[in-house]
Amino acid sequence: MAGEVSPQEEGNRTLHLRTLRKQWQIITLQVIATVALVWMYMEIVSTYVVGSIDHTILFRMLEAEIGSKLPVGDWLTGLDQEGVASYYVPIGVGLTIGGGMSLLAFQPPKRQQKIKLGFVIGLILILAGRFVMSYIWQLWDEGWTIPDDSALGTLEWPLLMILSMVILMFYLLPVIMGTRGIWGLSRKGVAWCIGFVLLFLAIHAILSFPVVKAQLGGYGDKLATLDVLVGAPTVGFLGMNLVTEQQFSLIMIACLIMIFQESAFGVIRQLEYAFRLPESCKRDPEYVKQVDNVLNGHLRHTVIFLTITTLSTMVALGFHSVLLEFVEGVTGSQWAAQVSESIELTLTYGLVISALLFLGLMAVLRFFVPWQRLWGLIETSLNRS
Amino acid sequence: MWTRKASFTFAGGISLILIGMMISNHQMMILGLSFVAFIVANSWISGHGDVEVQRTLSADNLYKGDDLYVELLVTNRSSRRTQTLEVYDNVPHEMKLRSGLNQMKMNLGPGESARIRYVLRCPLRGHFSIGPVSLRYRNTFNLSVEEMFVDHHSDMIVFPQLRDVEEAFIRSRTPKMYTGATTLRTPGPGTEFYSLREYVPGDPFKNINWKAFARTGDLMINEKCRDAVTDLYIILDSRDIARIGTVLKNPLEMGTVAAASLANFFLQRRDSVSLIIYDEKLSYLPPDTGDKQHFKILSSLAGVAPKGAMPLQAVTNSLAARFSRGSPIFIISSCEGDGTVPAAIRDLVGRGHEVTVLSPSSIDFERLVSRIPRMSYEVLKIERQNRMTSLAGFGSQVIDWMPDMDLSQALLQVRGY
Repeated sequence: MAGEVSPQEEGNRTLHLRTLRKQWQIITLQVIATVALVWMYMEIVSTYVVGSIDHTILFRMLEAEIGSKLPVGDWLTGLDQEGVASYYVPIGVGLTIGGGMSLLAFQPPKRQQKIKLGFVIGLILILAGRFVMSYIWQLWDEGWTIPDDSALGTLEWPLLMILSMVILMFYLLPVIMGTRGIWGLSRKGVAWCIGFVLLFLAIHAILSFPVVKAQLGGYGDKLATLDVLVGAPTVGFLGMNLVTEQQFSLIMIACLIMIFQESAFGVIRQLEYAFRLPESCKRDPEYVKQVDNVLNGHLRHTVIFLTITTLSTMVALGFHSVLLEFVEGVTGSQWAAQVSESIELTLTYGLVISALLFLGLMAVLRFFVPWQRLWGLIETSLNRS
Repeated sequence: MWTRKASFTFAGGISLILIGMMISNHQMMILGLSFVAFIVANSWISGHGDVEVQRTLSADNLYKGDDLYVELLVTNRSSRRTQTLEVYDNVPHEMKLRSGLNQMKMNLGPGESARIRYVLRCPLRGHFSIGPVSLRYRNTFNLSVEEMFVDHHSDMIVFPQLRDVEEAFIRSRTPKMYTGATTLRTPGPGTEFYSLREYVPGDPFKNINWKAFARTGDLMINEKCRDAVTDLYIILDSRDIARIGTVLKNPLEMGTVAAASLANFFLQRRDSVSLIIYDEKLSYLPPDTGDKQHFKILSSLAGVAPKGAMPLQAVTNSLAARFSRGSPIFIISSCEGDGTVPAAIRDLVGRGHEVTVLSPSSIDFERLVSRIPRMSYEVLKIERQNRMTSLAGFGSQVIDWMPDMDLSQALLQVRGY
């Protein structure tokens, strides 16, 4: 149909990356991702690492071996703290390094090159500067000779410092890569972070497998194991106790991985879309409005669905007790006791089957609850008022 | 439909549960359960393509090379959100996006609308249709995708370009040949008012003078002065051989431009123009005047595609009876691959028609797309020159039209033969 077609309009707000990066939805998603990353890291550390394979043990071993303090301050490595607190400052360092890398990624290539060159030169100077100077002094005094002990001694401090930093960075790799991914809009960074976490969990699972653990001898005893599925549930919601503290911690790790992943990738996906739009569309208020709508939707879904995921996992894990109550109510306590044994004593099978049963029920329920339509009606009436 | 990510997440979740059960690792089991719960929770939400689409074009008919402004209004008429919906307006691949974008990612609330505006450049003539509108719902976390479409089309015609030819004809060898409509002081079909007369059964209603009827109470008819017009025939060669060259520059494309421009020129002078297109079959548009005829001619030319190999003599033989006596005939053809051209032209000239052959040089068009050795080119060019000379020898005016030559410039050559 032919008619009057007006050209694209230009609004005050645009979809240029410079503007969009400061938009509150983007910042909120990035903050959610960062919080999820730090929280996930803290949960993993407190569950698996602290008191078992944490960096402070390694640093103390190193100090014992060399017979002196490491050149890096204890406040920085967390050696002056106990338990999870020993990770507070290192995580801050990790976030700063990740943030610095993101900032660097947004600099012009020439400036990036200069900063990288400066870093490498600085590293070389720290590592070999004093040694070279003292060796040159020695050559001046004594002629052509091999470096003496005092010259070689100047290498000790930089080497130990770099070794300490490497160890610290290794422990903080997920935080550094994750921060770089979130704020530097790098898919690789996010993927590497998740990869490290999953790899760590997989290696830990293999090492803590009873057969493998037995082979490790004394080293294996230090590995944290999680034989705590049976026990009185203490965590829940709406007055129902569904899971144990440790189960909740494991659920949080799983859900925080997803929150981190979806928020970080979500930001990258939406910014990529905006970046690819032609210039005229970036200024068009219609596109700006719809990008707002999409971002609001993303934010809503991130909060709602990942909360639902966490809660439904908790309910799924506590669903066997609901079944037990049901069986007890229908058939009497003797039957219930037998079912309880089959569920709890075998530890896993009954629990998993009942959890999957709950998730199956939940999946079917979508066909009976028209919540999207109900929410739409509420939204319409809100818009009208 | 689940995406690859959803499939991997679900399969990964189940695998983790199974492996976790096998090695009694609770973290793996719980991680697996969370993945499955994530899929289940997300299955509760689904987008929809229940939207109303309305497309507005700046013009239904336009000329080749013009810009077309398109506005697509998408409205969510349902009582729930569309969720993240990618809307893509399918445009013909022959058209080029000049500004804006024919797609948008949107999330429309109930009753909400969004407008997609873009501009298309139409570099090729033809009958085109914009649409349907493709919709793709994608879950926020990219777990499910659903493809839909709204069957909404907007048809349009891209006419061949019109070139100015008037100047060329004023300088032609027979300047008085095409004088256009001449008003005669006798009643008959025409445009200028002649007199009023009483209504006679059979008179068309549109000629009734209603004011006179109101004044006198009798039905009165407006009589017009008779226009003496020239019937002009344009014969366009649309055989398969006319496709030689590039998509934008080939004998057929140049032929359609020439036919459209000539028809426009003569119709503006209120002459009567007929269009004959021959390819695998013959299409004949009887001579007529006015804007309607202009539109018919342009529409026919817009839909012309190279096909078939009908000889010119078959065309002239079958239409000879319909040609008005002594009327001018324009033949737009490369005159390649058809041995009947000289005979057909000889017949037409013999019947007293003023024949003009406008011949796009197909050898030069072929040079645009393939390398022809210099010697071969020279030989082919001489052959063509001989053919043109022989056609001129039969009494027709022949124009050898080179690819880089403008139409008005080419028409000036008519004096050379």
